[in-house]
Amino acid sequence: MTETWSLAPGHVPSVPLLLLLALCGVVALVEAGLGFVQRGRQMPRSRALAVLLLRLLAIAALVAIAFELTLRFDRVAPSTRRVVVLVDRSASMAIPDTANSGATATRQARAEAMWAASADARAQWRDEGLRIDVRGFSREVEALGGEAAETLAGEPRGAASDLAAALASLGDDDARPGERLAAVVVVSDGLVGTNDDAASAQLSEVAARLGVPITTVSTGAPQLRDVSVAEVRAGEFAFVENIAEFEATVVAHGSKGESAKVQLVRNGEIIAERSLRLAGDGVPQRVQFQVAPDRVGQFVYEIVVPPLAGEATAANNRRAFVVKVLRDKVRVLHVAGRPDWDVRALRTLLRRDPNVELLSYYILRDFDDIAREDTEALSLIPFPTEELFEQELGSFDLVVLHNFDAVPHSVGQYVDNIAQFVEDGGALVLIGGDLGFSDGGYGGGQMAQQLPIELRRPVGHERARVRPALTDAGRRHPITAWLLSGDGRAWEALPELDGYNPVALRDASGIGATTLLAHPGELDERGQPRPILAVSEPGKGRVVVLATGSTWRLGFAPELALVDGARPYDLLWLGVVRWLLRDDSSGRLQLETDAPRYRVDEPVELRARTLTAAYAPEPQVPLAWTIEVLRGVGEGSRDPAGEGEPALHAGNWVTDELGRAQQTVQGLPIGAYRATARRVGDDDVAASTTAVERVFIVEAPGRELGRIDADPGIARLQALAAATQGAAIDAADGGLLPESLPTLASEDAAGRVTARREVALWGGPSALLLLLLALGGEWWIRRRAGAP
Amino acid sequence: MRERARATSTTRRRWLAGCAGVAAASVAGRVGAAPPPRIPGWPSGGREEEPITVDLPQLRYDGNWQPRGSAMRVLARELRLRTRLEPVAEPSSLDAERSELFETPFLYVAGDEALPTLTRTAEANLRQFLDLGGLALFDAADGGTDGAFVRSVEALLGRIAPGSQLAPVARDHVLFRSFYLVDEPVGRTAAFDHLLGIQEEGRLKALVMRNDLGGALEELPDGRAAHPCTPGGTEQRQWAIRFGVNVLLYATCTDYKADRAHVETLLRARRWR
Repeated sequence: MTETWSLAPGHVPSVPLLLLLALCGVVALVEAGLGFVQRGRQMPRSRALAVLLLRLLAIAALVAIAFELTLRFDRVAPSTRRVVVLVDRSASMAIPDTANSGATATRQARAEAMWAASADARAQWRDEGLRIDVRGFSREVEALGGEAAETLAGEPRGAASDLAAALASLGDDDARPGERLAAVVVVSDGLVGTNDDAASAQLSEVAARLGVPITTVSTGAPQLRDVSVAEVRAGEFAFVENIAEFEATVVAHGSKGESAKVQLVRNGEIIAERSLRLAGDGVPQRVQFQVAPDRVGQFVYEIVVPPLAGEATAANNRRAFVVKVLRDKVRVLHVAGRPDWDVRALRTLLRRDPNVELLSYYILRDFDDIAREDTEALSLIPFPTEELFEQELGSFDLVVLHNFDAVPHSVGQYVDNIAQFVEDGGALVLIGGDLGFSDGGYGGGQMAQQLPIELRRPVGHERARVRPALTDAGRRHPITAWLLSGDGRAWEALPELDGYNPVALRDASGIGATTLLAHPGELDERGQPRPILAVSEPGKGRVVVLATGSTWRLGFAPELALVDGARPYDLLWLGVVRWLLRDDSSGRLQLETDAPRYRVDEPVELRARTLTAAYAPEPQVPLAWTIEVLRGVGEGSRDPAGEGEPALHAGNWVTDELGRAQQTVQGLPIGAYRATARRVGDDDVAASTTAVERVFIVEAPGRELGRIDADPGIARLQALAAATQGAAIDAADGGLLPESLPTLASEDAAGRVTARREVALWGGPSALLLLLLALGGEWWIRRRAGAP
Repeated sequence: MRERARATSTTRRRWLAGCAGVAAASVAGRVGAAPPPRIPGWPSGGREEEPITVDLPQLRYDGNWQPRGSAMRVLARELRLRTRLEPVAEPSSLDAERSELFETPFLYVAGDEALPTLTRTAEANLRQFLDLGGLALFDAADGGTDGAFVRSVEALLGRIAPGSQLAPVARDHVLFRSFYLVDEPVGRTAAFDHLLGIQEEGRLKALVMRNDLGGALEELPDGRAAHPCTPGGTEQRQWAIRFGVNVLLYATCTDYKADRAHVETLLRARRWR
């Protein structure tokens, strides 16, 4: 412990004043010196010397006052220095690779061996007064002590290795004031951060700002056998039945010329596969998949390369992403056999929906209408039957044949095409009336087997007011369940229809032929109520038959009884279209997550919404929710025998007044998950509306194992060492820590001030008294000597 | 009323239905199939029975509510003859105070003088009629000479469609090509080269015709035109009928002819200016 002193000015005048004061000081000193040298005979040398000293004392007193000088005494303790050793704990350190010597080891093992073999060097550092501070880094920095610091032993599992953040966190240790950071040692494979230039620039900037030499120890070796799905490019959204492109970048090492499979997996099921001849080490190979999602919803897709024999790791052979498959604009073909108010109502409804792309063909002119001389004035166009029903049929999502007599308009020959369209997943609405079922056009071939009603014989049309009855199936079906809103008697308050087609339900339970609305009294030959609204689900498609051409009455009537503020007509057709198109939003229970993918430790928010049968918010609905691991999907291979595994999280909700509920879940590990919400204890609601699910992914912030080739890491560490005047050591080549570690120059490492005392030279009357005494003493001596 | 379909002997319509397939093929420019053979005893479908018809009701009110007595009957006949629309042979008349207003989403209102003040119930019903999707056609029988009827209609619309703007209907509106390609909305007169309308949510709720459409349509019992059309004479009458047809096709099909496929086809055929 030593004590030092120093003068510290309390006030520094401005530059002009400082110059003026300096000039005055010089003049005073010169004048004092001249007075001593050119003294008269009457002034003996001793007295002249006294005058000079007194004058110098006065000048010093003036300076002390002018600059408010303080005398500072510091007690300084000797300086201590430390070296921080940053040890990479990310997952890439567990990768085994092979050195030029032929030795294969994991990077972690190489780091531990190097550390143990460098014990002498570390002892030397300590002898030089360096304290060794060992820390592990991955996504975050953790201090290592005890055995871990002595051996570096540990299991590297970190999902990322953020060296820049680790360096930025270094600085003075608050627990050890006065201790200075003298050097940093980085033990890593160099695969830190991302591979882009911006990340490298950030690392260089952080290192430069730290201002200490960084010695690097690279643990990676040049030879590796691995295939990695390094990158995936995919949009968050795709449109059903539209081509969506997913592209993966595959990087292989040590497997040049070998063949690998690249698979596209959806929710654990392989939906596409490509063969790939692997290129040389580190050469990125792009693999494209073009798929047309066949249904709407949210799915976890994965690009998977089944591991080759002897791969360093299988953890980077798959990469998952979430795609929400939406319905593009719904393309509807509306063909009507005759203009009437029902056509007007349906067209108005469909046109009002911005998500509907409507193409209409209405038969406006019959063949028995007078062929007038005014043909040129007509705005009519030909009915392009072949184009519509042969070439373009597959482009539609929904075909509405509205009181359309197929045979006279040459559509009868295309009925099989329409049937195939339905079989392949298309939606069909047949609307009756005076023409629609009259010519037997839909009664032959495949279509007859798809319809829920019997149309093999032509069916007439009854002009009679009728108010259909809701069947048991209709009470539960999404198309008609809205009739149960309120007191459940909504249908009875609705206007009557103008007429109906006396059809009969087919005995076809295989296609789910079901009557939702039936004639209130009339029975068919089998004694069953005649259907007014019936549905079926043949093949992949769906069919709705309306045995009436007057549903427009449900939207145009005096004192129309609205259901939750909506016209019954709108609700009926909204339900029909949503059901036909399997609209994901048609459910009365909806579940969303606030994002499709999350970083690990990021909170996951589930939001549920309940709707009445009329799609109004439904409050106070008890719900149960769960979050479970999505089987067959994930960063790592999971136990396939995980069926029945309890949910990771579960709970219960009761929706608020707006039919909403939400839950925030935290702490989910990396993986793919399925969130499920389910209505509790509601047996009266259709099964399809009682449970919904969403999938999402929790992933690492970076792609730790996306690119695991050590060469770029070695180069990066060498560059870092060179830029900071540190040493670069290759552990794979047998390199050890140097006994003489590059550190911050010792003169830069000042001692630690433990105490300070200050004496204000200008404060109080002492400086002024000293000044007066000096000037007065000089005057008195000069007078005694008879000097001027 | 309850009418069941019956198989009948050959009728004009039945014969025509049999020809319809071939005729349709000719419209489509290709050869098509003939209708299937009839099976005795089977219901033979709607072509033999009375089709679903549409009414063209006219509003009754205190005053001369029917200045052109046969106008709607003639328009119904022309619609049957020229289109596949099936209007009733004798269009009805109705009272706005009664629920019969909602039997049809179309209403014809004619007059040659100012409309009388309607009751509050009638106006409320008319307002609901328009809101639910009805279309009202107001036809000034004065042909543009007086203007009292039109002014009273404007006042009525101000009450039953508050906030809506009665404005000229653009010449490129689909109303002018809903069946025929029509340039101007002529009637008995051609005093105005445009008609007025209220458009909301992409549809016309009300039309105000100031050229006396009913006057051009009306016929004497012997079938001759009841009024001369000026200045175009017989040809103008034909164009008035065509415009009347367009109004009803618009009422039943809305903007069907605005579909892209129709517009492109018409433009390709250079038949639409």
